[in-house]
Amino acid sequence: MTFKKLSISVSFAVFALYGTLILSLFYYYDGAVFLEALRSSRTLFSIRLSLFTATISTIIAVIVAIPSAYALSRFRFFGRQLIDTMLELPMIVSPVALGAVVLVFFNTPTGTFIQDHGIRFIFTVYGIFLAQFIVTVGIAIRLIKAAMDEIPVRYEEVARTLGASPARAFMTVTLPLCKRGIIASSILTWAKALGEFGATITIAGSMSMKTETIPVAIFMRLASADIEGTVVLVLMLIGIGLGILYGVRLLTGRAVPV
Amino acid sequence: MPKIEVKNITGKVLKDLSLSVGDKEILALVGPNGAGKTTLLNVMAGLTDYSGEVLFDGVNMDRVPPHRRGVGYLFQDLALFPHMNVAANIAYGLKIRRYAPAVISERVDELMDALHIAKLRDRFPYNLSGGEKQRVAIARAIAPFQKILLLDEPTANLDAQTAKYFRSELSVFLRRLEITTVFVIHDLLGAEEMADRIAIMHKGSIEQVAVPGDILFRPRTRVVSEFIGMPNILNCDECTVLSTGLVEVRSGSMRLVLPYEGTAMSKLAISPHDIYISDSKPPGPALNRYTGTITEIIPLRTVVRVKVLVDGNELLAELSRETFDEMKLTAGSNVHLIVKLRRLRYFEV
Repeated sequence: MTFKKLSISVSFAVFALYGTLILSLFYYYDGAVFLEALRSSRTLFSIRLSLFTATISTIIAVIVAIPSAYALSRFRFFGRQLIDTMLELPMIVSPVALGAVVLVFFNTPTGTFIQDHGIRFIFTVYGIFLAQFIVTVGIAIRLIKAAMDEIPVRYEEVARTLGASPARAFMTVTLPLCKRGIIASSILTWAKALGEFGATITIAGSMSMKTETIPVAIFMRLASADIEGTVVLVLMLIGIGLGILYGVRLLTGRAVPV
Repeated sequence: MPKIEVKNITGKVLKDLSLSVGDKEILALVGPNGAGKTTLLNVMAGLTDYSGEVLFDGVNMDRVPPHRRGVGYLFQDLALFPHMNVAANIAYGLKIRRYAPAVISERVDELMDALHIAKLRDRFPYNLSGGEKQRVAIARAIAPFQKILLLDEPTANLDAQTAKYFRSELSVFLRRLEITTVFVIHDLLGAEEMADRIAIMHKGSIEQVAVPGDILFRPRTRVVSEFIGMPNILNCDECTVLSTGLVEVRSGSMRLVLPYEGTAMSKLAISPHDIYISDSKPPGPALNRYTGTITEIIPLRTVVRVKVLVDGNELLAELSRETFDEMKLTAGSNVHLIVKLRRLRYFEV
């Protein structure tokens, strides 16, 4: 077997693994249950809540990520390496652990003050935003930085000599040039936020019709041995996630960098 | 257009460098790789840190950011904005400086006509040839009515023939604009074609700044002399007009026939690259061909320099090591020389 054939075979094997897992869901698929679950107010609430929180937390994460990614991509400053390493935190520490860290923080005097005089995060929808933001912002910065690294600094230097301030050069040259990368990064961030479970359940809890996102709802159904209900929600999550990613791939006309 | 003064500049490779460029002057920075030519342009444009002073018309620019210096810069890699078409690239600086749309449109049209790129208006950079990109980048650099123009290797992306044509066109264009220009170039001949004065740089310092003739005929340091290839300087003892535009020059007992108007030539420089050596008599007319005796052989890394005594003049010729080895030349060998007229330079009284 040639190296080319071997590598293609391995990629198909990975595809087969995921494909088999998805197909196995249909063993417990029941059309009537699917429709019933889809129509239930609890499921619709979970879908709406997940889409809403994932969108808002992605917007906030991207707004924070763009300047951070630009600084890390363009400037050499004290603490840069430290920040860069810290961005790996959501990847090396499990979301549950991150959630636990947030819970501990809100039990410190500073955290208690924020809870009492600012926004209450524990067991509220704001907690979902916070959980999704904490888990995704590092990844968003990483992805957007990768997109910005591909844009030569020289374009900004040209813009500067033509009269553009640093901010104007960024807005008129760098940003439009890495637009595709930012869109692709945002979509992946959104997909990650949509599927976030560990930190969400730790910070916001699993209150039905209040903080029950789709992944939390899946966990709750599984915990009560409702296999059919679980399958319905998993299929929805997969459908939404893959549908959006595929749509973006068609829209941007190239592979979404991961 | 302002006068540029840089005083005691130190930074990156530059070492206590001072230089003055006159109002509307075109100055060439020439030197080997790593001499600091591009760094010096970056200092003038404010794109790199430095210590020392940069003044435009006596006004200190050290704390003025690049976007307020009024310096147009043609980078070696051109860096046309890939997401904009040709017209938008040229108009960029004008839009940033908030010129009225009518002014922008007029200026873009004027520059596109002057640089013969009007038909490229709607094309994107990926659809342009090297020469076309060069023209668009120059138009973009000049467009926002810049006071100073910096060009880093303006013909680097062009083939030799196109580069020569483009240099002469650019030279005329810059003189018409009357814009103070500093440009970096590797090739001394290219510098001579375009510049009012040439600055030879070496290891972060200026070795000599002079008009092209002086660089060639009066190299001030050994570095300059080596960089320009240690030309053979011959005294013109007599200059006789043969016909319009053609003279015979006598130097000692050596006679050369050259294209030249008048009889004011006092010195003549011949590059060692332009003296061809043959161990057998070459065919063809005897014009500008001589016989001589090798007096010294100077082997260098890839080339060999040979001193040949011809009619009382000692000429230095340079040939590749392979050619030298093939001919098995030794000191005392008799050889035939052909002087090509490619890079002859004259010095007049």
